[in-house]
Amino acid sequence: MKTLESLAKFCAILAGLLLTLITLMTCASLIGRNTLGITITGDFELTGVAAGAAIALFMPFCQVRRGNIIVDFFSAKFGDKTNLALDRFGALLLALVFALLAWRTSLGGLNSWRTNSETQIIGFPEWVAYASMVPPFVLAMVIGLYQALFGFAVSTVAKP
Amino acid sequence: MSALTLTAVIFGIMLAFMAVRVPIAVAMFVAGSVGYLMQTGWGPFSNFLNTQAFARFASYDLSVIPLFILMGHFATQGGISKALFRFAAAVMGRFKGGLAMASVLACAAFGAICGSSVATAATITSVALPEMKRHGYSGRLSTGTLAAGGTLGILIPPSVPLVIYAILTEQNIAKLFAAAMLPGLIAMLGYIVAIAIYVRLVPGQAPEVDDADEKLSPALAMGVVPIAVIFTLVFGGIYGGFFTPTEGAAVGAAATLMAALLKRELTWAKFKQCFYATAESSAMIFLIFIGADLMNSALALTQVPNQLAALVGSWGLSPLMVVTAILLFYVVLGAVMDELSMLLLTIPIFFPMVMGLDFGMPKESVALWFGIMVLMTVGFGLLAPPVGLNVYVVNAMAKDVPISESYKGVMPFLISDTLRTILLLFFPAISLWLVKYIT
Repeated sequence: MKTLESLAKFCAILAGLLLTLITLMTCASLIGRNTLGITITGDFELTGVAAGAAIALFMPFCQVRRGNIIVDFFSAKFGDKTNLALDRFGALLLALVFALLAWRTSLGGLNSWRTNSETQIIGFPEWVAYASMVPPFVLAMVIGLYQALFGFAVSTVAKP
Repeated sequence: MSALTLTAVIFGIMLAFMAVRVPIAVAMFVAGSVGYLMQTGWGPFSNFLNTQAFARFASYDLSVIPLFILMGHFATQGGISKALFRFAAAVMGRFKGGLAMASVLACAAFGAICGSSVATAATITSVALPEMKRHGYSGRLSTGTLAAGGTLGILIPPSVPLVIYAILTEQNIAKLFAAAMLPGLIAMLGYIVAIAIYVRLVPGQAPEVDDADEKLSPALAMGVVPIAVIFTLVFGGIYGGFFTPTEGAAVGAAATLMAALLKRELTWAKFKQCFYATAESSAMIFLIFIGADLMNSALALTQVPNQLAALVGSWGLSPLMVVTAILLFYVVLGAVMDELSMLLLTIPIFFPMVMGLDFGMPKESVALWFGIMVLMTVGFGLLAPPVGLNVYVVNAMAKDVPISESYKGVMPFLISDTLRTILLLFFPAISLWLVKYIT
């Protein structure tokens, strides 16, 4: 779990830096646009693509911390042991969802690569965005599977 | 299988999984997948999935959400809150319950650069709770105040739930923020009044006089300067037509980062904390997006939401009655379900229904006003038992206060919430007043 957690943290930091970079690029573009009349062409396309990669990269960390919100209203009286078992079942289902997403996003990316689809203004290849999402989805799946099989890190609690 | 049975099956699966602690996003995803597959088979479903993650994540419009979240966390870690609270305490110190009022004020100011209620509650709690305790405020009043004050994080723009509403209903984010401004200020005043009444009705909750540590001084007032500058920059830029809301969020995040760096508060460890916290909230929200997306697509295929909207329209009910019923439904559903999931799941169903009714206002005004009404119920849900997320967050930080005390503490604020919601329900002009001035 230690390795998985480190990988998830690495992804989260990478995504955070990516988002910070977007904010700086936007500022540069805005200052240029509103003072000198020059702008970074297609900055909003880059923002979209980079945000997409960042959000996907955030996924593994969220699952490590069990940040995916649950309803604990009905299970409050089940007792801790039952709830823990249920949470592991939930992690298993989540792993399946990420497996499906990783698989289909790979196919979507291949398709986009074959058809050369690009963003409209700067022609940024869209398959790159697809490709950036698959590894974090796989990592999130592995984390979910690990939690389903071996339980959770002691320091985490399911979030209501 | 009839469309209605199918809808019942889809909802049944979702609720069954939710009841056994499966993450809400996953429960929606599974139920939506089953519903989708039963109607179209594997082909269209798999095609939908091929592009879903790309379409939902790599979207310029949606990127405003992680950016506003990042901005909030830069503000949280950036040491802005302490100076803010000291200033607020100096302003409100002369009143009975002054420190509680100061907490509300600080939450409102912090809410002006933070779009999340939990982040606002946690940030202001960390600076205000020890102070209130030191001055002899009861755990009940202090935790109740901070939990309620935290909701100002979303009631005062920027606001993540409002952005989500705007995206779901294709409304203008800038106009929605403008519509939320006045109701947000009313909420703040309402909370301060609630404290003033409460400390007089219930003795022993607050000291008779706060022995104010500091008098109001220009040096203290400097504490609010960073927030005022950032707020003016972001909203001045958006309303001045210099940039889009997404660009505003990016500028705000960069400016907040600068402010934090200038304060020399942001170490690499804190920097990482910003990213971790942003990761957790963003991923949670966007996974729900994916689940709700599938769920709503499956429901739309059944045609039931459209039929429902037509049916309700044909009953000839008074439009206000329909909206009131929806809001009450939200209050009940919000008692068991997370508010964001609730919005993502139900707005695509309820919004067309509301838009089909005649309120004697332009359609856009109805959409803006309904957004504000929905936002009010979200705020309510964050405080109301049995699961008030804000109450949990604040209570967890106050180790010696039982949760039941905190729930007692939020009661005056829930009353204030209810009165404000009724006011805004009957007087849409309050929400729409500022929007008039925006072109």
